[in-house]
Amino acid sequence: MNQKDYNKQGILAVEIGALKLKNPVMTASGTFGYGDEYAPYVDLNRLGAIIVKGLSLKPRHGNPSPRIMETPAGMLNAIGLQNVGVKSFIKNKLPYLRQFDTAIIANVYGETIEEYLRVSEILTAAGGVHALEINVSCPNVKKGGVAFGTDPDMVAEVTMRVKGATDLPVIVKLSPNVTDIAVMAKAAEAAGADAVSLINTITGMSVDVEKKIPHLKNVTGGLSGPAIKPIALRMVWQVATQVNIPVIGVGGIMSAPDALEFLIVGARAIQVGTANFIDPRATMNIIEGIEAYMKRHHVFAMDDLVGSVRI
Amino acid sequence: MWTGTINFNNRIGPQHLHMAVRLSAEFKDPVPGQFVMIRPNGGGGPLLSRPLSVYQYVRNHDHVILELLYRVVGQGTELLSQLTKAAEVNILGPLGRGFRIDKTRSHRILLAGGMGVAPITFLADYLKGRVAGKYELKICLGAKSCTEIVGIERIRGMQGLLNIATDDGSMGSCGLVTDLLPSFTQGCDPGKTMIFACGPMAMLKTLVEQLAPTGIPCQVSIEERMACGVGACLGCAVTVHDRRGKRVQKSVCKDGPVFNIEDICWDQIR
Repeated sequence: MNQKDYNKQGILAVEIGALKLKNPVMTASGTFGYGDEYAPYVDLNRLGAIIVKGLSLKPRHGNPSPRIMETPAGMLNAIGLQNVGVKSFIKNKLPYLRQFDTAIIANVYGETIEEYLRVSEILTAAGGVHALEINVSCPNVKKGGVAFGTDPDMVAEVTMRVKGATDLPVIVKLSPNVTDIAVMAKAAEAAGADAVSLINTITGMSVDVEKKIPHLKNVTGGLSGPAIKPIALRMVWQVATQVNIPVIGVGGIMSAPDALEFLIVGARAIQVGTANFIDPRATMNIIEGIEAYMKRHHVFAMDDLVGSVRI
Repeated sequence: MWTGTINFNNRIGPQHLHMAVRLSAEFKDPVPGQFVMIRPNGGGGPLLSRPLSVYQYVRNHDHVILELLYRVVGQGTELLSQLTKAAEVNILGPLGRGFRIDKTRSHRILLAGGMGVAPITFLADYLKGRVAGKYELKICLGAKSCTEIVGIERIRGMQGLLNIATDDGSMGSCGLVTDLLPSFTQGCDPGKTMIFACGPMAMLKTLVEQLAPTGIPCQVSIEERMACGVGACLGCAVTVHDRRGKRVQKSVCKDGPVFNIEDICWDQIR
C-alpha cells in the first residue's frame, strides 16, 4: 500500500513500526493459505494484512494424516508446515497477492538459523513482501520451530541475524509453550524485532478411547480456537506491559468483541486464524465490528483504543 | 457462506437422515461428487462445519433445494439430525472437484459402500439426465445390513441395473459390494468403461487390488477430516502421484474429494 492510500484509510489505520496498515486485522499464518483460497469469499483488499502459510527453503510435505481433530471450543492441528517452499511461493503465489492493496507478510520457518536467513533474504529480494513474521513457535515439526522459541538466547539470535539479513520489518511469532512468554518477547525486542505476535498454538493431545490411539498421527498437535482465547489475552496483556515494540494479538479471535479485547489490553493489531475456517468472512465482520465500536465510543484513532484497558 | 432453511430432515434408517435445504437461487449448481460444509445456524455445539456430499439438488426459479443424505457419527451430525422444518443452517459450497464424465466411456459402473450412496445416486441421476447417447449404467450398493441400505427407492428409479450386497446377507447377495464387481467387469472393454466409487477406505483399497490387473479406470471419492473445506488449513492432506510420478500432497477438499484411483498413494492411507 502506498502512503496516499494509507492516509485515506481513516480511523482504523495502524502502524507496526515501519509497516503501515489500513486496519489492524490480519489473517494468521496457516489459516488463510496463500490468499487465493479465500478470494471467492473475502475482498482481500479490505484486509489489514495477509500472513501467508509458513515458508521454508525447500517444499515440505508436512505430517501424515490424520492431521486435525476438533476438541471442545477448539481444534488440534499437526499439519507440520506443509508448504510449497519459498521459491515456488515467489514464482507462483506472490504475483497473485501483489495485485491487492493489502500488506503481504511472509511467515518464515527454518530448521536451522541459516535456513531462516536464506528464506528471509530470498523473500526480501523478491519484492512485494511488506514484512516478515519469524516462526519460532511451530509445535508440530521435529527440528526448528518451537525449538528456537523456548530459549531466549535462541530467540535473540534468530531475530538479530534475520534483522541483519533484511530491511523489512521483522515480527517474531512467539510460543505460549514456555514458562514466561514475556522473557521471550523481551529477548526479541532486545535483538531488534520490530514487533512480536502471540500466541501460536498451545500443545495438546486427544485420544480415541475405543481404539486407544491418539486422534492425531503426530500424537500431539497445536490447540487453537476460542478455547485458547483467555490464555492468549492474558499473555498479550502481560507482554504489552513489558515491551515497547508493538504487540500483535492472536488466539481464538472469532468476532469483533474478541478482537477489541486484544486491542484494549494492548495489542496494536490482531490476527484471525481458526475463525476463517468456520466463516470465511470472519475478518470482514471483525473489521466492520471494530469500526462500529469505535464510532459508538467516539474513539477516532487506533492509538486511543490500543492499551486503553482500565485496571 | 449461505443461510439455508430446512424443508425436511427425515430419519430413514437407524442413524441415517435425509435432509432438504432451501437456499438462495445464487447457490451454484453442484456436480456429482462435490460437497458442502454445513452446520446449524446460530452457534452452540461443535465449532467446525461438517462436510456432506450432495445427494441431489433442484433448481427452481427463485431458490434451490439441496438434498443431503447423512449418518449420525458424532456430535456435529447429531446436532444436524435434531433440526426440524424451518430451522436454519449455514452452508459453504458447493466445494471440491467432483466426478469427471468422459463421454467416450459409455459403460459406467457405479459402486457405493455405506454413505457412499449419496454422491453415487446424484451421479447416476446426472448421467441419466444430462449425458445423451447410448450407454450402459450398472449400480452396486453395499452396506452392513438391510437396515443400512438407504435411498434405494430413488436409485431404483434410474435406468440402470441395480445390485445389492450386504455383509450379513439380509438384502441382496451376502458379502461386500466389491464382490459384485467381477461379474460386471468380466469381458468389458477397458477403453470404454469407467468405474465410479465412493465408500469406506477398506472398500476402496480392495478396489485397488481388484482393478490393478484389469486396466479399467476408476474414480474414487474419499473422506478425510476437514476444517475449512477450501484448501487453506491443509488438514485433509492426501499423498498422490503427480504426472511425473512424484509424490505430492493434495487437499481432499480442494483437489478432491474425487481422485483417479491410481493417483492415490494407498500405502500412505491408514
